Amino acid sequence: MSDRIEGYARGLFEIARAEGTLDEVEDELFRFARSYESSDALRNALTDEMIPADRRQQIVEDLLGGKATPTTIQLVSLVVGAGRGRDLPAIIDRLVARASTSKQLELAEVRTAVPLTDDQKTRLAAALANATGKNVNVKVVVDPSVLGGVVATIGDTVIDGSVRTRIDQLKSRL
Amino acid sequence: MNVLGLAITIGQRIASEEFGIDSDGHVTTHSSILPETAEIIAGGLASLIIFFLLAKFAGPAIKKGMAARTERIQKELDAAAADRQSAATEAAQIRQAKGDIAAERARLLADADAQAAAVLDDGRSRLRQELAELEAKTLADIAAAQSRTGDELRAEIARLSVAAVDHVVSGSLDDATQQQLIENFIARVGASSEGARS
Repeated sequence: MSDRIEGYARGLFEIARAEGTLDEVEDELFRFARSYESSDALRNALTDEMIPADRRQQIVEDLLGGKATPTTIQLVSLVVGAGRGRDLPAIIDRLVARASTSKQLELAEVRTAVPLTDDQKTRLAAALANATGKNVNVKVVVDPSVLGGVVATIGDTVIDGSVRTRIDQLKSRL
Repeated sequence: MNVLGLAITIGQRIASEEFGIDSDGHVTTHSSILPETAEIIAGGLASLIIFFLLAKFAGPAIKKGMAARTERIQKELDAAAADRQSAATEAAQIRQAKGDIAAERARLLADADAQAAAVLDDGRSRLRQELAELEAKTLADIAAAQSRTGDELRAEIARLSVAAVDHVVSGSLDDATQQQLIENFIARVGASSEGARS
């Protein structure tokens, strides 16, 4: 299973790099993986064996059409059409990790309640690099459950500045 | 006629006896009470013979009967005396038993009184102990109920407070606040150096 995931990740990575859209594809795939994890309906639709493969691929194209690059759409369709929908988040995570490694960057998953601007991403990457001593590849996930602030995860390190965590701490004290 | 009247009549008859001499020169009487002499003699002899025969033949049987009767009566007297003695003995035994019964009754009553007193004391002691335990349990229950009520009240206050915090915080997080929170995070993380983070 792990070898298969690694094989798919390597294949997708090579295709994106060959297309010259690795950064963009990597970012889009990462956000799609997080949406996939948080949506039961999407997960059920893309992993239901009773739904024909071309129908599942059509769902992907309808979902990402106009919102992602053609390469991203084709890569996701490829995985879903091959019946590996369940492994999609793991494959994408491996792809992102491989991309970060190739750029000698540490993957930093950042969760915020609202999207970050490019400037904020740049400054956040610099701040995280300063804090961890590693150059980081920032991947932003918009997660309304954070409520406000930022949660950054770099490897085993979690830097939590979210409103949700502060409220949870307040609840614990209460 | 009573007895006195009969005696008077007989006396008058004797006094008025009429004597006569029959043709043979014998004096005759005509007493209506006394028989003739020959008749008296004959009657007397017959009576003697009868008494003799009676004494001869009936006497032993009568004596034997009298002796048997005497013996029977003596036996009855002896039996009566024995019965009396037995009754006296039995009466003495009954009196003694009565005395024993009275003593036993007194002893039983004393024992019963003692047992009743002991049971009463034990019951009072147990009652006092149960009362004390019940009071302690009641106080503990009241304390637990107070504590539980306090805990429930605190939990409810906490729940309402948390709900209020969620509501207030969510309502106050406008775009400017969101951006401010992100900028504060970047500034705070950027100000920290490697190894300063946990």
